[in-house]
Amino acid sequence: MTAPSLLRHRRDRVLAAMADADLDVLVLGRQDDANYASGMHRLWTAGTRPFGAGCIVVRATGRTHVLSSWGAGLPDTMRWDDLYPSTWNPRVMAASMTMVPGLPEARRIGVDEVSPSFTRAIGRIAPGAEVVPADDVMTRARRIKSVEEIERIRIACTVAWTGVTAALDDPTNGVGAAIEAIAATGHTIPSSAPRVHTVEGAVVVDLGVLVDGYEGGLGGRFVDGERRSSTALTEACVAGATHASLAAAARGRWLVRGLGMGFERPVIERDHGAAEVLDPGMVLSVCDGEHRDIVAVTDDGPRLLSPRPRR
Amino acid sequence: MSPLPAVDRARMRRERLDRLQTQMERQQVDAALLLHGPNVTYASGHVPDAVDASHINYRRPVAIVPAAGPVHLFVHDEVDHLDATVGAGLWPELDDDMGALRRAVAEAIGDTADRRIAVDTLTGAMARADVLAGAELVDASRILGPARVCKTADEVACIECSQIINEQAMAVARARCVPGASRSRVAGSYLRALRELGADHNEIDPIFQVMPRSRSAGPRTSTGDVAFPTGIDDPVFAEGDLVWVDAGHGYEGYASDFGRTWIVGRDPTAEERACFDRWVAVMDASYAAIRPGATLGDVGRAATAANDGVTPWLPHFYLAHGVGLDSAEMPMIGSDLGPEFDDGYQLEPGMIVVLEPVIWDDGVASYRAEEIVVVTDDGGRILTSNPGYAPFEHRGQGR
Repeated sequence: MTAPSLLRHRRDRVLAAMADADLDVLVLGRQDDANYASGMHRLWTAGTRPFGAGCIVVRATGRTHVLSSWGAGLPDTMRWDDLYPSTWNPRVMAASMTMVPGLPEARRIGVDEVSPSFTRAIGRIAPGAEVVPADDVMTRARRIKSVEEIERIRIACTVAWTGVTAALDDPTNGVGAAIEAIAATGHTIPSSAPRVHTVEGAVVVDLGVLVDGYEGGLGGRFVDGERRSSTALTEACVAGATHASLAAAARGRWLVRGLGMGFERPVIERDHGAAEVLDPGMVLSVCDGEHRDIVAVTDDGPRLLSPRPRR
Repeated sequence: MSPLPAVDRARMRRERLDRLQTQMERQQVDAALLLHGPNVTYASGHVPDAVDASHINYRRPVAIVPAAGPVHLFVHDEVDHLDATVGAGLWPELDDDMGALRRAVAEAIGDTADRRIAVDTLTGAMARADVLAGAELVDASRILGPARVCKTADEVACIECSQIINEQAMAVARARCVPGASRSRVAGSYLRALRELGADHNEIDPIFQVMPRSRSAGPRTSTGDVAFPTGIDDPVFAEGDLVWVDAGHGYEGYASDFGRTWIVGRDPTAEERACFDRWVAVMDASYAAIRPGATLGDVGRAATAANDGVTPWLPHFYLAHGVGLDSAEMPMIGSDLGPEFDDGYQLEPGMIVVLEPVIWDDGVASYRAEEIVVVTDDGGRILTSNPGYAPFEHRGQGR
């Protein structure tokens, strides 16, 4: 269950980002956005989802409403009447949304993604509202991590290491061994596609997991059980780093991207993120060729969140 | 393992694209821009990785379907087996990729002004950049829905392959579902077994949910009925736990759906057996009602009649749902779309219905299991390798 202090922190950030963007209401379809704003735990499924109103945040009331037919998985701070039930029927859904206090009279509604039918539906539910993209509002809210969030990510990285160790012990069945070892710690949700293969006496591994909603992971080329891949890009993730400084440090095909409750912005790689600058408090997945680490940007340089746990 | 039915992948891709472009022509849609994984697979044959939504949202494959001719597919990974025109991966989340997306659209379908374009998703970046400027936008489900609902022979074979592998992996998990085992360890054994059977597209965190014996012992629900699947907690199983099992993975992107009720560490009691026997009766009646021309309402009424007039399914779900590239799709029987919807919807050959009746004897026991039925020219056929219903024994005639 999401700790109340962590949830309060995230909600405050969402409400502040809404105020900055002059949004009355946020309608969130993305599972990670909905989870960030609400703390709701629910069944994980892989892959993209068609857009639906999974979570509604109303600035005037400070309330977060969640699509769910039951109270299981709710954070303690949420009330039964903060829920609206799941349905297959668009008319039932529209009626539920009309009941959300503050939604029908909203002036500006932000959505983190949208479909043509939802655009039409929201026009009937909140006839006076301007509907605007708000994926960038959630990105701003999620960009800087709290100490508690960074600790969650560090813990998720230790879980990923459990899988890496199992894969190195049995590289022939590496992915299966890693999945089973991670499951034995109580976690069964992958973030990225697990990869384990043997090349010229080395084992190349990349694993990612979600632990209570936060992502951990790492990758690298292991020889005799030790990681032998370049950490230069990881070391370049200092406050103020730019596309140019990261590109200069990278040795292979590279990607520096935000990491928290899954894959986040910024995305910085050869052709993208030219205007991005790293700030303290950001957490990044740093991938250079086969090497991948997770770091927090601090005033004192990058703090590695995915070191090998001591045996 | 049971031998897997053969799939002609090239024929499957050809027939799907033909159905999609036929729907586009019928509904006067000039082009489709697809970002939802199952839609991309249907149009192009490319199956995205089964990873967390946040990851695939950023690196998702994009398909652009013109009225005629090959699909334009934009992917981050290498693909070499497709009939599509393949371009470099796009980043539809990123504002600084919208130039590339606009060029991709122009290359595939030309100018968008005054065209009727089907889309499934518009990201914030796409909306800000107005990448489909001047077009009339319609929901892609309007063309994908009717195209996808009746499966080709190869699609049916994919679902059957998916189910056979699922059943095989579940045999491993059942042996591990013993007193003292945690849900995550049982799930881990299932996920590993899937990998060892060559399957790398697990689509759902596998469900092994300990069910309360009475509704009042479970969490509060909007329907007053039982909450399932909640997807939370990691219980340690104890002898006599009633565990509802539900899991699916993809074969060529096609989902399967394994549903059973297990009892941990002991044989069923007479009451538990009675629930199972009733489930078999409801299942047989539902199955017998499935044929081309029957309405969804006909099947629902047959199921309810076999349960002495009591609705044998969870009210927030349905008696049955379709399965295909999505794990739950049309047709749905007994959903909150209502009786008029069900009575106006006829089954056709190639439709899939996953029957999942639930028998609930409040305070005593329950039974839930699932079977995938394809509608044939004269009835239905269950897609299964017949793994049985252990620890329950089905004494009726074989299906």
